[in-house]
Amino acid sequence: MSQIKKKLLIVQTKAPFGSSDIQEALDIVLAAGTFDQDVSLLIEDDACYQLLSAQQPEIINRKNTTKMLNALPIYGIDKILVCAESASLRNLPSNNNDAFKFITKNEIKTVYSESDTVIRF
Amino acid sequence: MSLSILVLGAPFESQACYTSYRYAKAALEMNTAVDRVFFYQSSVHTASTLACTPRDEFDLYAAWQQLKQTYNLDLVVCIAAAARRGVIDNSEQKRHNKIAHNMSSCFELSGLGQLVEAIATSEKLITFGE
Repeated sequence: MSQIKKKLLIVQTKAPFGSSDIQEALDIVLAAGTFDQDVSLLIEDDACYQLLSAQQPEIINRKNTTKMLNALPIYGIDKILVCAESASLRNLPSNNNDAFKFITKNEIKTVYSESDTVIRF
Repeated sequence: MSLSILVLGAPFESQACYTSYRYAKAALEMNTAVDRVFFYQSSVHTASTLACTPRDEFDLYAAWQQLKQTYNLDLVVCIAAAARRGVIDNSEQKRHNKIAHNMSSCFELSGLGQLVEAIATSEKLITFGE
């Protein structure tokens, strides 16, 4: 793998279990982390429903991607960014904690502009 | 200037595979280096040799293969995304014990590391979504 490091931003925008987007976006985050790249994950729009605790996707035979999210720090990815406005519009908790950092629309603009590559799902 | 291309959408349902084909062809005709085209999510169906395009429609599958042969393009298909969707080569057929394989030899199966490498080494990554 090349020594060149770029700032890679993966953005999730879709609801967690209605499509493969959340899972396949997460796979890129993990791959980039494995190859020691500077990768960030940003959660926007309906993807914020991943923040709901005690989800049981096993009942509909889907992989529990929320568990994968919680495992991201093991891969050296400690920056899970969440659009605060998207979360509050959906009545989801938007307090910073160990796993998630809630950011404003203006901060999101900065994150985008500071990234070399952005891939949205 | 060098670029890599990421394709996500399916070849018929979405415009992604067609627009990315036009984009790659235009870039190559202008002597811009296309380091790699990476097929992820439903775009992996582009590598199938079993798709039958109606005779009065544009054969996008053949077009990508032609582009590969003309410019010796690096066309990489995500192995995990492809296996999930039933696009497999000879060795994947054996590994998963399936009755047939269907992948065009113009494409190469590999992992997401190839996408990460393309992002790191090309000047730009152009994504074609749904």
